Amino acid sequence: MIRHLFKLIWNRKKSNFLLITEIFFSFMVLFAVLSFVVHNVRNYTKPLGFTHDNVWLLSMRPSSDSAALNRQNLEQVLQRLKSYPEVANISLTSNNAPFSFSITSNAMTYGQVKDVQADYYEVQDDFQELMQVPLKVGRWFGPQDDASNHEPIVINQQLQEKLFGNEPAIGKLIPITDSSSYQVIGITEYFRGAGEFASDAPAMLTRINFAKRQDKFWESLLIKVKPGIGVAFEERMVKDISGITGDWNLEVSMLEKMRKAKAKVTLVPMLGLGFVCAFLILNVALGLFGVLWYNISRRNSEIGLRRALGAAASQVYWQFIGEVLVLATFGLLLGVFFAAQFPLLEVFQVDTEVYLIALFSAVFLIYLLTAACAFYPSRQAAAVQPAVALHEE
Amino acid sequence: MIILSNIEKVYQTKTIETVALQQVNLAVPKGEFLSIMGPSGCGKSTLLNIMGLLDEPSSGTVSIGGQEIRSYKDKELAHIRNEKIGFVFQSYHLVNDLSVLDNVELPLLYRSGVSASERSKRAKIALEKVGLSARTKHFPNQLSGGQRQRVAIARALIGQPEIILADEPTGNLDSVMGEEIMNILLDLNRHDGTTIVMVTHDENMAKKTERLIRFFDGQQVSDAKVYANLQQV
Repeated sequence: MIRHLFKLIWNRKKSNFLLITEIFFSFMVLFAVLSFVVHNVRNYTKPLGFTHDNVWLLSMRPSSDSAALNRQNLEQVLQRLKSYPEVANISLTSNNAPFSFSITSNAMTYGQVKDVQADYYEVQDDFQELMQVPLKVGRWFGPQDDASNHEPIVINQQLQEKLFGNEPAIGKLIPITDSSSYQVIGITEYFRGAGEFASDAPAMLTRINFAKRQDKFWESLLIKVKPGIGVAFEERMVKDISGITGDWNLEVSMLEKMRKAKAKVTLVPMLGLGFVCAFLILNVALGLFGVLWYNISRRNSEIGLRRALGAAASQVYWQFIGEVLVLATFGLLLGVFFAAQFPLLEVFQVDTEVYLIALFSAVFLIYLLTAACAFYPSRQAAAVQPAVALHEE
Repeated sequence: MIILSNIEKVYQTKTIETVALQQVNLAVPKGEFLSIMGPSGCGKSTLLNIMGLLDEPSSGTVSIGGQEIRSYKDKELAHIRNEKIGFVFQSYHLVNDLSVLDNVELPLLYRSGVSASERSKRAKIALEKVGLSARTKHFPNQLSGGQRQRVAIARALIGQPEIILADEPTGNLDSVMGEEIMNILLDLNRHDGTTIVMVTHDENMAKKTERLIRFFDGQQVSDAKVYANLQQV
């Protein structure tokens, strides 16, 4: 029977061309949206590699051009913050603090492996405790690194795999210039500072040696407050710091709010695309339903004939469902051919698995959609009275 | 053998009741070629539909090949139609999107245990019988009316049914083509022993059959052996 259905649809390819095209485009839209959704959902389910409860970000924009004065003020700010009983921990950080909209990356080269782009974060020794960064192997930064000839770094597993493959990474030196290198001292499984929907990209954390780098100024400071500390403390803290820094521009943001803001950047287009896709699919479904109903009503005489030749009502029903599924198969074959190019050509640097999940889900949904659209018209076809249908011309 | 006992068929709407057949008693012995005549709307096609199990009588019983049809369950009726009955229609009822060979194969598609190669083989034999073995790959719209009707006959034959029910098989054909089709049906009846019941408006065609019954207003008004006393029919 399947062969018969393929033959029937193939012989009607001209009249079915528009339906097949419609199914093809629906599949491509669905595949694109599902790839986007699957990619983001997979990222969302992965650990961030840190926690951000009760962590605030203090952004400081000095108004003075005097590096020495700014540095002096910064030291006082740090001392003041450490003196608060409400503050559990603090850590200076580069401007690309977790959930911020800044990105800093660094090209890493190790042996034959060239220019691996890694997210680059500068943090202080207390960052691990402040953000609860779990280490898989090795250790976090500490005072013992003051005497090191190399710049210590903690890397995530992605960077480890890209640079070293299966080799152990601890202790490895990665050249920065001819005379200096990074030294890997610790590995964390994940570190996704760009947010929950960000890919698990290679990342590295370097140590801020505050005492040694007298010439340097860091504008971002992470502050972990004790549970239950709220706006009243924030106001008092900003007032106190303003007393030290004068007319510096100070801004306090809660990491939780930053996380939500960052998530919206992905969620809003994802929901928007989802709605557009749902609307398109609904239109396709209505169109398909109408066309199928019309086609089936045009084929009453054929239905009567098949019944006369020995087809039971259920066989007529399944024949029409089968025809629609075969029709969908023609559209899907074309769609799968194009969709398969995405993982093969590694378009957008998205995991092959994401494309495969999206592809199979889109195929399943299109079959489901077409079968659902064919359900009622096929039932109508099965209910056709053969004696009546045979006299329709 | 087909036996119809006390068949009545009434079409009922909310306001009108139309009696299509009343008190029809008819026995068609195995191997007989019976023709049914009568004016349009007298119930000939309704009778043929009831014989072919395409329609249910309002009352009375139908028996086919010694099997009385008691329950009218869809699957059972479909099975009997497929195994025992072949249909030929005035307007051929060929599927335009299928080749001649595929059209002829159709009844075997609904018969379990027949492979694709067996279907094809039997379709070719059936087409040879009606003289269309050179047209297997053609489509119905590439054939003349007579050729289409021969395809329809080949389709009726392929399942080797005991009975062929033909509803005005020559109605859409000119006299030469009609003659050709009639000869094929006569040959099937005489050589293969197939029981044929044919509805026709053509007196000449009816005269070639063994027995002719006439209908008027849903009732059988005459029944005669054609070769015995043609003038009385």
